[in-house]
Amino acid sequence: MQGGESGLKTHKIISSENPLGGAIELIRQTFTSVRDKPVKRISFVAGLHGDELEGVYLCHLLIATLRQLKATRPQAFQGEVHVYPAVNPEALGSGTRLWPFFSMDMNRKMGEKTDPSLPAEFARSLVEDLQISSDIVVDFHASNLHLKELPQIRIIEEFDKKLIPLAALCNMNVVWVHPSAPVFESTLGYNLNRKKIPTLVVETGICLRIHQEYCEQIFQGMIHLLRQTGVLDLVDPLPKIKQPLLIHPKQVALVQAGHAGLFIGNAALGAHVQKGETLGTIVDALKGEVLETVTFPADGVLFTLREQPVTYQGAPLARIALKEIR
Amino acid sequence: MKETLLSIPTPFGDAITLCKNSWEGSKSKGNVLSIVSGLHGDQVNGIYISSLLTRFMDRVASGQEPDYKLKGRVQIFPIVNVPAAQSGSPLWSFDDLDFDLAFPGNDKGEAAERIARALFTHTSDSTHGVILKTADPLYEDAVHIQLADPDRPIRKMAESLGFAVARKLSDSTTFKLSLFGHWRENDFPCLMISAGKPKALDRALCDSIFTGLVNLMVQTGVLTTSKTKKEVEKLQVYPLNAEHAVMSSHAGLFLAEVEVGGFLQKGQKLGEMISIATGETLEEYSASVDGYLVSLRHYPVMFEKEMIATVLSDKKKGFWPF
Ligand SMILES: [Zn+2]
Repeated sequence: MQGGESGLKTHKIISSENPLGGAIELIRQTFTSVRDKPVKRISFVAGLHGDELEGVYLCHLLIATLRQLKATRPQAFQGEVHVYPAVNPEALGSGTRLWPFFSMDMNRKMGEKTDPSLPAEFARSLVEDLQISSDIVVDFHASNLHLKELPQIRIIEEFDKKLIPLAALCNMNVVWVHPSAPVFESTLGYNLNRKKIPTLVVETGICLRIHQEYCEQIFQGMIHLLRQTGVLDLVDPLPKIKQPLLIHPKQVALVQAGHAGLFIGNAALGAHVQKGETLGTIVDALKGEVLETVTFPADGVLFTLREQPVTYQGAPLARIALKEIR
Repeated sequence: MKETLLSIPTPFGDAITLCKNSWEGSKSKGNVLSIVSGLHGDQVNGIYISSLLTRFMDRVASGQEPDYKLKGRVQIFPIVNVPAAQSGSPLWSFDDLDFDLAFPGNDKGEAAERIARALFTHTSDSTHGVILKTADPLYEDAVHIQLADPDRPIRKMAESLGFAVARKLSDSTTFKLSLFGHWRENDFPCLMISAGKPKALDRALCDSIFTGLVNLMVQTGVLTTSKTKKEVEKLQVYPLNAEHAVMSSHAGLFLAEVEVGGFLQKGQKLGEMISIATGETLEEYSASVDGYLVSLRHYPVMFEKEMIATVLSDKKKGFWPF
């Protein structure tokens, strides 16, 4: 562990020597509490998928702000804050979702007890450390290469009672409660929630980009969360935050491509859209033909939009939070 | 019969297809063997074995293999992850999705989900199932059988292959997303055969697996034969606690001194790690138990805390009591 005048303590959770020199390290940055027993301990995690940079930038904003606060108003820290800004460093360095050397998804290795691979070993160490150090966890994700997302928190149904009130504090546009599926069982969020550590999974923007406006909005939400949970005690008035749209599965309409081609979007993320309005077209670039004009199936808020134009039949083009349950 | 079960148009070029080769015998009802290869696009041993089986089954069906008669139905799915195979990689880079985590699939979903759904639908009424695979990337496996729970029908199937070793699969959070996991849920006897390494063809190994699979077809009753039964090697089924992993505590270049598929003695040297920068030996590795070397690192560049080898313990107490 290293401490500094910055008020920040750096812990190495696990490391692995690199064959070409140096080491891969999983780092936690800790802002300690002025209390012997912190009011609450909140952890922020980013970079599980190496091409998702919004969360990494959010960690930068958090660390910079908390450092300054530690220097000027140390008494504000009634709770403890941990930031894990880059938990999959190899993937972050190469800008890929998967840990490149192994082509493995670290967020599909959580809860694996016997998998001997290095990504699984790092995943185990991360879960263990979060379990010891946290009362609440926020796991930041951006979307994949294909879709752009409005700032949102996704909650698996079985954890909704604990998580919805916390999610409501985070200045999100959308809180989406969805049913569980086996695919979630190997993720960080699911495993921590199963261990009774409330974990919010944030999805925002798109991978390989930083959407500063969204990051600023979420950053304000995280400061709000830290204050409302008593981790930070500040006298300044609480900023106003967004009331998120709380949506359940029946309130989500998925629009999919009916053809393979290039999707040319014609709508803006976050827009209030109406049934019948044009979402975009799918074109055949080889023949210069329009294959399909895609329209919205209902009224609602456009909270997911396709950015990667290459589409196959069935590819998601958009998700709408419906005004009315269908 | 060669069928295209699914054809998904692509924005540029040929459609992505799922193909099936099948042969129908006189008593097909309630006797269907499904063989799947190419779940990962670079596991070529399985793809080659499927081609050997296809040639053989065509000959059986046309009477050119007089020692064999087709009774049940055999269906072979030679390459199920076509986009990954076309890009020569384990995964398709368009979705970075491990195709073997896409099951049971979705017929209204994205390309990979549609293929997964079609494959699962076309195999879910099987009475027996075999998945052909290789070691994970970076490793080489000795030919061995992987099974979930070796009850009697599965054990019979496994024994007919004539291999020495079977392993019980470890619990995994992703098992439920795999084709094999869904076959298990459908409750028909099934197993996986792992052999060799990705991106490489081992013809001798494939020939021996082909022979084993023909025996398995006879054992499961989809084929009958006039040939007399040959004695096969006795199968050892190793439980999870029989697995001993040898781990690296240094990074560097791993130089192996043994080959997979042999029995090792406790203390026998497996190889050493040398420094890329200086060439000096950083660490030597040896077997911690007497046992069978089922899996060995084949790609030499290694990080610290990685697995070098898996040895299946040869202790009697490690065996399952059958
Ligand atoms: Zn992610």
